[in-house]
Amino acid sequence: MPTTECEIDLQHEDDEVLVRRTQRGDSAAFDVLVERYKERLYATVYHMTANHEDANDLVQDTFIKAFKSLNSFRGQSSFYTWVYRIAVNRTINFVKRRKNRNQYSLDDLDSSIQTDPDLVEMMSHITPRREVALIELHEKLNESLQKLSEPHRAVVTMHDIQGMTHADIAKVIKCSEGTVRSRLFYARQQLQGLLSDYL
Amino acid sequence: MNCRKAQELFDDLSRERLAPETAAEVRQHLVDCTDCRVQEQRTARLQRLLALKRYERPAPEYFNNFLSEFHHRVLAEAQRTGRWEQALGHIEELLAVESVRVWRYRFASAMGVAVVVGLMWMGVRQMDDPASVAGQMAGTNPSLIFAETGSSTPSTFAASLPSLLQVTPADYEPAAADSAVLTPAPTHADSPSPRYVLDRISVASASYDVPNVQF
Repeated sequence: MPTTECEIDLQHEDDEVLVRRTQRGDSAAFDVLVERYKERLYATVYHMTANHEDANDLVQDTFIKAFKSLNSFRGQSSFYTWVYRIAVNRTINFVKRRKNRNQYSLDDLDSSIQTDPDLVEMMSHITPRREVALIELHEKLNESLQKLSEPHRAVVTMHDIQGMTHADIAKVIKCSEGTVRSRLFYARQQLQGLLSDYL
Repeated sequence: MNCRKAQELFDDLSRERLAPETAAEVRQHLVDCTDCRVQEQRTARLQRLLALKRYERPAPEYFNNFLSEFHHRVLAEAQRTGRWEQALGHIEELLAVESVRVWRYRFASAMGVAVVVGLMWMGVRQMDDPASVAGQMAGTNPSLIFAETGSSTPSTFAASLPSLLQVTPADYEPAAADSAVLTPAPTHADSPSPRYVLDRISVASASYDVPNVQF
């Protein structure tokens, strides 16, 4: 489908403008927001669920919920924080419900991981059979994260995997920065025990 | 600064997100505390390990259809909501029609009258039924009483009640001839006449005196 001039203009608009346009009935503006944040939201939800299909469904649901509720969005936080909050809350509820159904459906590892300096260094210590160890590490990481409680997993995912700041995480989960730090502290202690073979 | 506080600030220190004075405090704590130095290294290694998860990605073409799937889902959701609202609208419209409204009140009134009549009929039926009353008085199911006595209907059961108890009206009245031998119980001393059937039973008083026996 050819991109129109209007759509190109929308691509460069701020979230705030796009939200206002959507609220006035311009659904194309919301499409730009979906395109802008889908991958980041998918990554977060995926790392919390360790399931590719669940992540896709949850992100779709998140955008539908955001689209339907956009009229109630007053702009007290950024659109990104707001939509992120919807995604994280939905994912936490979902993971609680499926507690006894840990079915992993993992995404592939990007081939560029082979050249990651941290990985190269780590693998040289662990085993010369890098391929086998990489798959094993991949599974072990997911397994260990799934053993954390949902709020702890959410904080570790946002901070240590997604690289969000404590302040942003606090806004998303509506708590103090101190709570975020405290949760990170306990989650890391647990993870250090679970991943001691790799540390 | 204590160990716990310092450990919570390690990643802020490594990302240079601390105020200069706080950063200096954490650094000083690390110089002084061996446990925290070890812990800092372990935390840094864990963070590098977790960062590898960023390489877990779906195939590049995975997101190609994301937007069209989103549109499809929004449409389906709107249709689902639309159908529900449409159904509710039909019901509201139906109830809003004047003739339907009249019939709705008539039907509700008829149902009310039927319920009241039904309740009254059930009440009258229960009052007319002696077996039911007898059953209630005995605290048992009347049908069980019929079964035990061999009476087939409540009326025959009612007729057979005196014989079942094996008493006659006379049994309730004291016999004048027997009044001399009556030994009323002390608690009934003030009673003018015996009130119970058992009061008429005379019992010879037992004597424990040793008889005069001659050998």
